[in-house]
Amino acid sequence: MVYPVHPDYTTITSVYNADYVKSILAYNGGSVVAMKGKNCVAIATDLRFGVQAQTITTDFERVFEVGPHLYIGLPGLVTDTQTVLQRLKFRIKMYEMREGRKVKPRTLMAMVQNLLYERRFGPYFVEPVIAGLDPVTKDPYICALDLIGCPCEPADFVVSGTSSESLYGMCETTWREDLEPDDLFECIGQSLINAFDRDALSGWGAVVHVIEEDKVTTRHIKSRMD
Amino acid sequence: MALQALHGVDYHCKKANGLEDDENVYLGNMSNQCQLYMPPLSKAESQVGEFLVDECGRKIKLNFAHGTTTLGFKFNGGVVMAVDSRATSGQYIGSNNVKKVIEINPYLLGTMAGGAADCTYWERVLAKQCRLYELRNRERISVAAASKLLANMVYQYKGYGLSMGVMIAGWDKKGPGLYYVDNDGNRMPGNSFSVGSGSIYAYGVLDSGYRWDLSDTEAQELGRRAIYHATFRDAYSGGVVRVYHIKKDGWVKISEQDCKALHYKYAEETKTA
Repeated sequence: MVYPVHPDYTTITSVYNADYVKSILAYNGGSVVAMKGKNCVAIATDLRFGVQAQTITTDFERVFEVGPHLYIGLPGLVTDTQTVLQRLKFRIKMYEMREGRKVKPRTLMAMVQNLLYERRFGPYFVEPVIAGLDPVTKDPYICALDLIGCPCEPADFVVSGTSSESLYGMCETTWREDLEPDDLFECIGQSLINAFDRDALSGWGAVVHVIEEDKVTTRHIKSRMD
Repeated sequence: MALQALHGVDYHCKKANGLEDDENVYLGNMSNQCQLYMPPLSKAESQVGEFLVDECGRKIKLNFAHGTTTLGFKFNGGVVMAVDSRATSGQYIGSNNVKKVIEINPYLLGTMAGGAADCTYWERVLAKQCRLYELRNRERISVAAASKLLANMVYQYKGYGLSMGVMIAGWDKKGPGLYYVDNDGNRMPGNSFSVGSGSIYAYGVLDSGYRWDLSDTEAQELGRRAIYHATFRDAYSGGVVRVYHIKKDGWVKISEQDCKALHYKYAEETKTA
């Protein structure tokens, strides 16, 4: 059952311009959201890996741990998710080896920004989301970047992926300042589930990481599998 | 005559008749449902399926890819129809609870795939034509005739960009009947069909479990499972799985289950099995 599609949604094989960027980012599907709480952050992802309409697996996490209290989510084209993660991990390890300390979230943001802007004229089709606590001060930090590295560091939440518009709506209504870790989990979980239930290309399960000073709690949420 | 003129009967009657002219202008397809407005374009341009272009002059393909899964199959106990209930607009899920089985009359069912407006409109027109047939001929219309009526209606609009992939099913004098009708004017009888973007997944399950001599419950469960598997794999299918069974004395709605519930139920069954 399909209603008329807005003309901007052209096919992947059309001329290189802003039109086809959106459809490449929607080729595999997937969404990530991160929120700030009271001395904690949470980052959540859906688990679908598909190729356009077909769902291939339902256990593909697109949020990765890159430090003891530092997670990065890479929704977008999955081949670029994997490549960006590998190249980023290399840079992080080199950094930590030279500096002799763990990378800060803000610095990670700068590293990702550089990595993405390097490919300004042939970008990686990922729109990363970073969530973490500063290794020393334990300040919560979240940020999102677009596919060519423009960062955005709001005080409340960040969203990315195919259901980003629905996610904005859900997060805007459910987020409050200074949520405790358990409340933050509920908030981010419900926002993600209800947002991706309105998106055909995201869903099929969700994983939420709640990052606190002393621990990281990972929970898998049972959701609609359609 | 003079009295008529004195009372101004002609004047008043004319005014009343004037309403008919308004009717034809403002209520175009109230009396004749096949009379639709055409856009104010030349003949060449009015192949409306093709006339949309973007600002660069490239043709925009309105991709009515029949994002859905519907299926129907005949067996010795009648016809089972099973459908999902998702409606998408691009990747946005418009609704997870669309009724894709249209109850044409108590013994005929039609399914919906493709453009929602096209399917609902033309199947309603079909319902009207079936009722008129009944009134004129004092007997129920056959499935073959009903599907032919629909096919002929949409054939008039071939090339205009209608999008419909419909199955008409019922029970008539010749037994269970199942026809596939689409916007190209295809009309074919068959024992089992599945239509929509998720049909490839449904066919896998349907074909491997299909036999002519299934019991009623087995057949209903086969239809349900096939749709469930399509909702799992296909991004554009999902929502509620509805199953109907057409028997000798008409159709019966068997079940309406959310595919989330079906997923976890089948997962439990595989674990315990």
